[in-house]
Amino acid sequence: MSDTLAIENPSLEDPKIFQFHQEQAGLEVDWFKQAQQAAWARYLELPLPVRTNEKWRFANLSRLRDTGRFQPAGGELSQVTVDRIVKASHRFKEVAGRIILADETLAAPVELDPELGKKGIIFTTLTDAIVKYPELVQKYFMQQSPELGSEKFEALHVAMLRNGVFLHVPDNVEVDRPFVIYNWTVRDKGAIFPHTLFVAGKHAKATLIEFQESASPGTEHLVVANAHLFADDGAQPNHTIVQNWNQNTLSLQLNTNNAWSDTNAKSTLINVGSAQARQEVHGKIFGSGSNVEMYALNVPTENQEFDQRTLQTHIAPNSRSDLLFKNALIGKSRTIFSGLIIVEEDAQQTDAYQTNNNLMLSEEAEANSLPGLEIKANDVKCSHGATTGRINDSELFYFLARGIPRNKAQELMVFGYFEEIVEKLDNQELADYVREVVQHKFMD
Amino acid sequence: MSNLEIKNLNVSINGTQILKDFSLTVPKGEVHAIMGPNGTGKSTLAKALAGHEDYEITGGEVFLDGEQIVGKEPDEISRAGLFMAFQYPSEIPGVTIANFIRAALTARLEEGETFKAPAFYKELYEKMDLLKIDRSFTSRSVNEGFSGGEKKRCEILQMAMLKPGYAVLDETDSGLDIDALKVVADGVNQMRGPELGVLLITHYQRLLNYIVPDKVHVMFDGRIVQSGGPELAEKLEAEGYDWVKEAAPAGAGA
Amino acid sequence: MSSTQDLKPDTQPDLNIERDVGNFHYDTQYEFDAGVGLTEQTIDYISDVKGEDAWVRQFRKKALKTFLDKPLPTHWASKDLENIDYEKIRYYLSKGQRPSRSWDEVPDEVKQTFERLGIPEKERAYLAGVEAQFDSEASYSNMKEDLAEQGVIFVGSTEGLKEHPELFKKWFGKVIPIGDNKFSALNSAVFSGGSFIYVPPGVKVKQPLQAYFRINAENFGQFERTLIIADEGAEVTYMEGCTAPTFETSTLHSAVVELVALKGAKIQYITVQNWSANVFNLVTKRGLAMDGAEIKWIDCNIGSRLTMKYPGVIMRGPGARGEVLSIALAHDGQHQDTGAKMIHAADHTTSNITSKSISIGQGRSTYRGIVSIPRQLKGCKNNTECDALLINTNSRTDTYPAITVRGNQSTVQHEASVSKVSAEQIFYMMQRGLPEDEAMSLAVNGFVNDLIREFPMEYSVELKRLIDLEMEGSVG
Repeated sequence: MSDTLAIENPSLEDPKIFQFHQEQAGLEVDWFKQAQQAAWARYLELPLPVRTNEKWRFANLSRLRDTGRFQPAGGELSQVTVDRIVKASHRFKEVAGRIILADETLAAPVELDPELGKKGIIFTTLTDAIVKYPELVQKYFMQQSPELGSEKFEALHVAMLRNGVFLHVPDNVEVDRPFVIYNWTVRDKGAIFPHTLFVAGKHAKATLIEFQESASPGTEHLVVANAHLFADDGAQPNHTIVQNWNQNTLSLQLNTNNAWSDTNAKSTLINVGSAQARQEVHGKIFGSGSNVEMYALNVPTENQEFDQRTLQTHIAPNSRSDLLFKNALIGKSRTIFSGLIIVEEDAQQTDAYQTNNNLMLSEEAEANSLPGLEIKANDVKCSHGATTGRINDSELFYFLARGIPRNKAQELMVFGYFEEIVEKLDNQELADYVREVVQHKFMD
Repeated sequence: MSNLEIKNLNVSINGTQILKDFSLTVPKGEVHAIMGPNGTGKSTLAKALAGHEDYEITGGEVFLDGEQIVGKEPDEISRAGLFMAFQYPSEIPGVTIANFIRAALTARLEEGETFKAPAFYKELYEKMDLLKIDRSFTSRSVNEGFSGGEKKRCEILQMAMLKPGYAVLDETDSGLDIDALKVVADGVNQMRGPELGVLLITHYQRLLNYIVPDKVHVMFDGRIVQSGGPELAEKLEAEGYDWVKEAAPAGAGA
Repeated sequence: MSSTQDLKPDTQPDLNIERDVGNFHYDTQYEFDAGVGLTEQTIDYISDVKGEDAWVRQFRKKALKTFLDKPLPTHWASKDLENIDYEKIRYYLSKGQRPSRSWDEVPDEVKQTFERLGIPEKERAYLAGVEAQFDSEASYSNMKEDLAEQGVIFVGSTEGLKEHPELFKKWFGKVIPIGDNKFSALNSAVFSGGSFIYVPPGVKVKQPLQAYFRINAENFGQFERTLIIADEGAEVTYMEGCTAPTFETSTLHSAVVELVALKGAKIQYITVQNWSANVFNLVTKRGLAMDGAEIKWIDCNIGSRLTMKYPGVIMRGPGARGEVLSIALAHDGQHQDTGAKMIHAADHTTSNITSKSISIGQGRSTYRGIVSIPRQLKGCKNNTECDALLINTNSRTDTYPAITVRGNQSTVQHEASVSKVSAEQIFYMMQRGLPEDEAMSLAVNGFVNDLIREFPMEYSVELKRLIDLEMEGSVG
């Protein structure tokens, strides 16, 4: 990387870091400043995760104990880098809007189809939204938490977050084209804290796609990201994150999907990047008649560790949730899937499903699966399943018998295995891109 | 007083009245058919007679050989001699048909009586042969994974084994192909006689070609609007239900 | 038609495991009493009374330290564990350390107890041997002569330690180390009673050996220790039953059971746990299966206030097999926290877990499991099925499995489902003349039926009867 730091930022270990950060940010919105102050106090107070905590069972904790050396990203980037990033942030012919953030700073002006702006859609950076629509942002900002073990990092995220994206689709507005976010890490040893807030009003329909990338393969990063999805009655939000940070990144992604009545809320995680990625997703169903879908496609290779923890909490009766997390493990990679379905006492007639499939493609890969259920209502249909296995030998033989070489056959079969998730993306360009990224991972 | 006598029966589901002063008498030994368009309360009648708790009887009486059965528990009504063949029989995983029927028969034993297994199996197999049910079915769980036709034959098998005084067959013909329909009808015809009163509930005349009823009643909007002989069924088949709606008394109608 | 379902009532063996049958109590004078509370003196008292070797005393003291140091597992388990008051428990109570070989020599009130529970009768009917433990020690222990002639050893653990130290020491504490968990440490400190079984190579014990555990005294903790060794090619089935009167205060039962199946051996261990509703039942059970050996746990948990029990099999030799079949029924005020642990430590090892739980009223059942293929092994397989049935709106069920697989040569499958008895099912059955509780009982029996079919007949019949009893009055 050719970029050099304009100013020497303090690291996360520096006792003055928070004060420095607030001065730098210069956001004069009281509630937000107070939220950050409170979060910083909480961050200092909360202990680091320990292995005996069920929420961290099987996880590798050493990297998480060593985050102090990172410096919150900030300052100017070279024009060359910015140009390159903007050029690479172009994966769709037509979008409803586009935001490109490099180390949490806008790399290009926010794009939003003016027609959509006229319909009342807000698609802008989080800092801009906090200034322009403080009450609206405050109504949703950090109102929900995944509650899956990363409370300390969540506090750090709130205290240190510098930017993010706010997408608000008003009642009854439907948008077919996707809103797209490109989040880039640039500076070596930089820490970023991107925050996505996606609010879909009553009967609103929209798709938000988020790409997470690094400008260079060799730099080292800490990412503590949050994404929160709010679906009001009848809304149909669709949110996808393609996590492709470089392989020296420690990333945490802490998400909630909140659904009220009669919604169709979908969220998908595609994971290829990071040295270690910890992801928490909590689907909360507050209304009846909703259908909440949570999917993930994960291709860890080499020494990567993907640690995913999920919750599906049914608070209201008569809703449905479906979770499918599929892993294909290569090299010495490790995965942890820990999922829990909670059906509260009043959530009768719940339909909840949870499936984790692990396809083992190497001798040394390790898959850990913790599929759980906590059912407090009796009139429910709930099931979970976990399978861990290898490529089906007879299917493989069929390919070989047709003259297809073994590794090509394996690749085809793995693609077939992932197609179940890719099909659910509901966007041809995104699906093609995901196929390409996965294929790239196989060729490495 | 050997009859099933329904007097001014009023039934509601979730506060909506479905049966309105419904009256009908089926003497033992006769087969009566109730026909009518969908949503007219035919299945409600069956479930209410059997004592289902979701069907609230707000008025009227039902006598089984003179014994009042309104307010009784479903199992008491069953043991009193009223059998209902379900339109959609429940699946009971893990409970075999043989054990299920056996449990039902055991529940009918008098104090001090013992269940005689050899006689039971002899009779069960005879009835199964008659209904063309494969003997391997005895070890299958009740209705689990059964086809529509298998479920209905299994209902008739239970009826044959429990020997009720009265049987209400709720849309037993629905979902059956013609061969299965004949088998079911044969089974019912075998049981016809002075010891059994039958109430056939159906939407189509098809079943009545095979089980010829003594009387046919046309039901509309929660009550019987016309009664007659088997020829009434033929008229319904030829002309549909529209004339029934027109002929219905004032105040009736959707 | 499955054969077990067609048994006539008069041919059903009466295992007398209903709790009401066990709810009686004779006043008993104990010759030996370690008093209340747990200190080094308690351990010295137990060791002195038993006349144990120094190494056993050392083992106990080391375990006591581990027990005191280890925290309660309440960060993942029920907080109800915190309600056990170790200072109020009596850790050793007996009338003597030598069991009788004949019922005639058993002290009257103890004999009366077991007669009321039907043990001597069952022994005559179909058992190869019986051990009857009354509080801390076996009162009676006997085995058919021909088995003794073949070299089979079936004695209490006190006697086993004394008479067969070389066999005992080799495996004792090896399958379940002292520090495995807080309660295995507690047991290791104060253990008394339980069985010691050795089956020589190639000997197949056809009829089951039975142990019966009776808690008679209030505020008493029962800590039996069982070690079963099946030598190469040997086969044995062991069954345990248990009862206690319903006391005002809660009682603790904390056993450790170690099984060793050497090459090609088969051990089947059957438990019908029907403790009264104030017993904390915290048991550690694990087996070690060598080459081609098979260990099967059949575990039925009907009673107790809180049961925490996860029978396990470590498949140490290639081709070893492990199996856990478990049924749990949780009624009002009960928590059945049960499951299984399958550790695959050699190639081509296979394991199966089938768990069915029923929660009634305010009852809570929990499945917790571990399936681990931690190294790169070939051809390992696990299949796990957990089904839960909920009867009332306030019932609760949880499932917490943990599965680890390394490498691409093994397959693991886990499935779990939750269902309830539907109102339509019950109406259908009632329309055929079955009263509501009978209909409910039939539905519950149907739910566990395919699993019960796997059990030895005496147990399947008894279990069905027990479920019927539990379902009485559970509806309405």
